[in-house]
Amino acid sequence: MKKILLACSSGMSTSLLVSKMRSYAESVGEEAEIWAVGQDQAQEELKKADVLLIGPQMRFMKKKLEKYAQEAGIPIDVIDPVSYGRMDGETIYKKAIALIEK
Amino acid sequence: MNNNKFMDFLERILLPIADKLNNNRYLTALRDGFMVALPLIIFGSIFVVIANFPFLDRVISKDAYAAYQNALGPASAATLSIMGLFVIIGIGYKLTQHYGGEALYGGVVALASFLILTPQVLGKTAGVIPTSALSAQGMFLGIFTAFTSAELYRFFVKKNWAIKMPPGVPEAVSKSFSALIPIALTLTIFLVVRILFSYTSFDTVQNFIYTIIQKPLTALGSGLPATIIAVLLIQLFWFFGLHGQIIVNSVFDPIWYTLNDQNLKAFQAGQELPNVITKQFIDSFLVGMGGTGMTLAVIVLIFLIGRSRQIKELGKLGGPAGIFNVNEPIIFGLPIVMNPLVLIPWLLAPVVVTIITYVSMATGIVPKPAGVIVPWTTPIIINGFLATGNHWQGGALQLVNLIVVMLIWWPFLKILDKNYYENEKKASNES
Repeated sequence: MKKILLACSSGMSTSLLVSKMRSYAESVGEEAEIWAVGQDQAQEELKKADVLLIGPQMRFMKKKLEKYAQEAGIPIDVIDPVSYGRMDGETIYKKAIALIEK
Repeated sequence: MNNNKFMDFLERILLPIADKLNNNRYLTALRDGFMVALPLIIFGSIFVVIANFPFLDRVISKDAYAAYQNALGPASAATLSIMGLFVIIGIGYKLTQHYGGEALYGGVVALASFLILTPQVLGKTAGVIPTSALSAQGMFLGIFTAFTSAELYRFFVKKNWAIKMPPGVPEAVSKSFSALIPIALTLTIFLVVRILFSYTSFDTVQNFIYTIIQKPLTALGSGLPATIIAVLLIQLFWFFGLHGQIIVNSVFDPIWYTLNDQNLKAFQAGQELPNVITKQFIDSFLVGMGGTGMTLAVIVLIFLIGRSRQIKELGKLGGPAGIFNVNEPIIFGLPIVMNPLVLIPWLLAPVVVTIITYVSMATGIVPKPAGVIVPWTTPIIINGFLATGNHWQGGALQLVNLIVVMLIWWPFLKILDKNYYENEKKASNES
């Protein structure tokens, strides 16, 4: 099962995206664990994930988290602002899967 | 084209600032320290709200009301009123954790260092620690102490000074000293500092930091100009799609919380509230109206005048989240980010609202924030009601502000909507 972690300032707006991504994954019959956390927990939580996606408003976190993501051996990226604004669960879910499989 | 160049230029300046402020280890520890204290602060706030329930003092007898307030008092006295303590432990813990040391020791060393610097006498009663010293009044000293003690502790741990034990002494015994030495040295330094200060006219370190740094800074921060600058910075960061609060609050929170605490003390003592600008002023009257930039007004406008499909969809998507002050869909979806068309209302509306709110509180039309901390996800009106110490005027002011923001946004949203509408028409004609 794919484990996708989203992070933003307090995990509020990304949790909105989580529900959209989950419902897309369900609609195509894929099983995935998707969850959102605040910036202070991202460092710990990423150890349990296969990929970490950061909300674009917190993109300055990437530099710090990249180090921990490397240690955990998982890919990390910033969600593009347009998909984020649309809360486009499908595009972002596919992107997450592509990052894991790369 | 020129426009784009200017935007690129600004982003090249702002992104590194955001990066520096957010990834600075002290500011990160400070922010996380407040996060540690936040559940306790909110717990205390809830009981301040319950203890000051409106009309209750008119329904039950005076004695019963006093007994009721006394019974609930410890809830906030043990949390909200001594929030400095929890922030200090949080900072010491997080900073030591950052350095990969024993975080819990970092936390308690910071706490002990702070208590060493704290006056331990109240009037003529010795052997007590005045709770006022543990509140926001001691916040600045606490923050500096937590930073320094964590640094000193780390320094001494790295030195790895150990007491050489004769052979035959069990290893566990010599190990117990290895934790002792860094802690003892750190605390000794603070004790020396305390003694040195007792010979100055400031008497205590707390008094020194309070007079030299905290008082002037909070006086500056309680004014309208500094607040407008902070608000504009928050808006500007968000315009570039960067989380403005996270960045600006890490600098302003110590000031805003201190001002908040002064109001809480006055509120609980039934005195005149000293400050308009507080943590809750920002959180309720600027964030608590749909999120940063008061975008609930934009959502209402969308439902009133939106014609294009894109805008209407956005209203549906952003509406429910907006009620709880989460507005990333609006910020990235409208979009507000990098959209020159909405730059004017985006910067102007919060400044106008800040001024209206400030003036109506300074003149006494609306009660000032009572010092309780209301979670920022609390919806509009309820938010203003609670923040002002259970006064309906607080909620009413938010409604007035909402209408003002709608008026400011109206022409700009109209143009944006029209653009989208015509594009959609063109697209459907072509297909």
